[in-house]
Amino acid sequence: MSPEGLSKPEYQVPQEMQNQVALTTLDRLYNWSRKNSVWPMMFGLACCAIEMIAAAASRYDLARFGMEVMRPSPRQSDVMLVSGTVTKKMIPQIVRLYNQMPEPKYVIAMGACASSGGPFKEGYNVVAGVDKFIPVDVYIPGCPPTPQALLHGLMTLQKKIESQSLKEVSWYQKGPGEPIPVPVLGPDLIDMRKAALIREKSQPVTEPEEAAVAVEEAAQNGELPAKEG
Amino acid sequence: MKNFGKRFGVMSSLGVTMGHFFNTYIVDLVKGKKRYRTTEGIEARRQSDTEGIFTIQYPEEQLPLPEEFRVLPFLVYDEGENGEKNLRCTACGICSKVCPPQCIWIYRATDPATGKPSPHPAEFHIDIDICMNCGFCAEYCPFDAIKMDHDFELSGYTRGESHVFGLDTLMKPVSYYESIRPANAAREAAARAEKAKPKA
Repeated sequence: MSPEGLSKPEYQVPQEMQNQVALTTLDRLYNWSRKNSVWPMMFGLACCAIEMIAAAASRYDLARFGMEVMRPSPRQSDVMLVSGTVTKKMIPQIVRLYNQMPEPKYVIAMGACASSGGPFKEGYNVVAGVDKFIPVDVYIPGCPPTPQALLHGLMTLQKKIESQSLKEVSWYQKGPGEPIPVPVLGPDLIDMRKAALIREKSQPVTEPEEAAVAVEEAAQNGELPAKEG
Repeated sequence: MKNFGKRFGVMSSLGVTMGHFFNTYIVDLVKGKKRYRTTEGIEARRQSDTEGIFTIQYPEEQLPLPEEFRVLPFLVYDEGENGEKNLRCTACGICSKVCPPQCIWIYRATDPATGKPSPHPAEFHIDIDICMNCGFCAEYCPFDAIKMDHDFELSGYTRGESHVFGLDTLMKPVSYYESIRPANAAREAAARAEKAKPKA
């Protein structure tokens, strides 16, 4: 427990009581306990997830920040680490998972792909930035960010949590919050049920004998390489 | 007792873990405080035969970055005699053309006297959230003007406002470049001197 993190400098403690008494606000106590137990959701999307795993392993050790408990359920997690390329097929599931997380919830866009689409920003199948669908709290640039850069991003998130006030946070306001609308993946233009019909229509109407003769003629005219032997 | 290993295999494995746990304290007691937050300590803990805790406790201590470590590009400027900043960049636009994710925007400056384009960038933007740290810009730059930085502590709360870097954040002195990449800077300086030498 760091005294400079908890005690409030505005309140003067008498000199003789300074070793026995610490004054703080509910906001600080609440945020201090909250920021040191941010549990991430256990899912990875691409190569950034490998760096996330490295950050959680003993070399960098997320447990020092109280973040080592990767929860496989959105109901138990506080932060969603969007670690990697988000395809158009994946974004409905990500928004659904985000809606299923309990408040307070945070999103970290890790790496170029999650923040902006990165090298795939104009791709046909990649979402150009996850912030177009869910509210992102911290952006971590890098491709992929090193474990130390990820830790810096998590510390940035901790600073954000510290700065929040109980009076203003959305999850203590009256009434239930609105869920984020889940995007609908559009109908695919390819319909495999019609593929056989299309193939039937497009087949050339040539008899097998005729085709063989045509190939032979072509070989004699020198248009095709003749068979050896 | 001959089947001890079979019957209590889990216990003996947990014993190994417990041994590692106590070993961290023993190693810390023997090696003392200089194991942490010192250059030699980090170097010793990086080795494969290290014992005890080898976690790099990031905000307090950092792994030494190799010279070729690269994160973002930055623009090198030479410091003039009167403290002016002479950017090496000529706004030729090669870096923005080779950039695979297309994250560089350059506006060429115009000479106010003649109205003709002058070889300086008026604006230079890099969207650091798109940059994929490939280093092609530094590789292709014919003037050694754009180089890859070592600073990775870049995370922020907003994307458009704080994560599109302009000239003010991108410009860094050549002394900084020499400090992070000494071998590269020396090699490039030698090559430039060789080129500038009059042909005999």
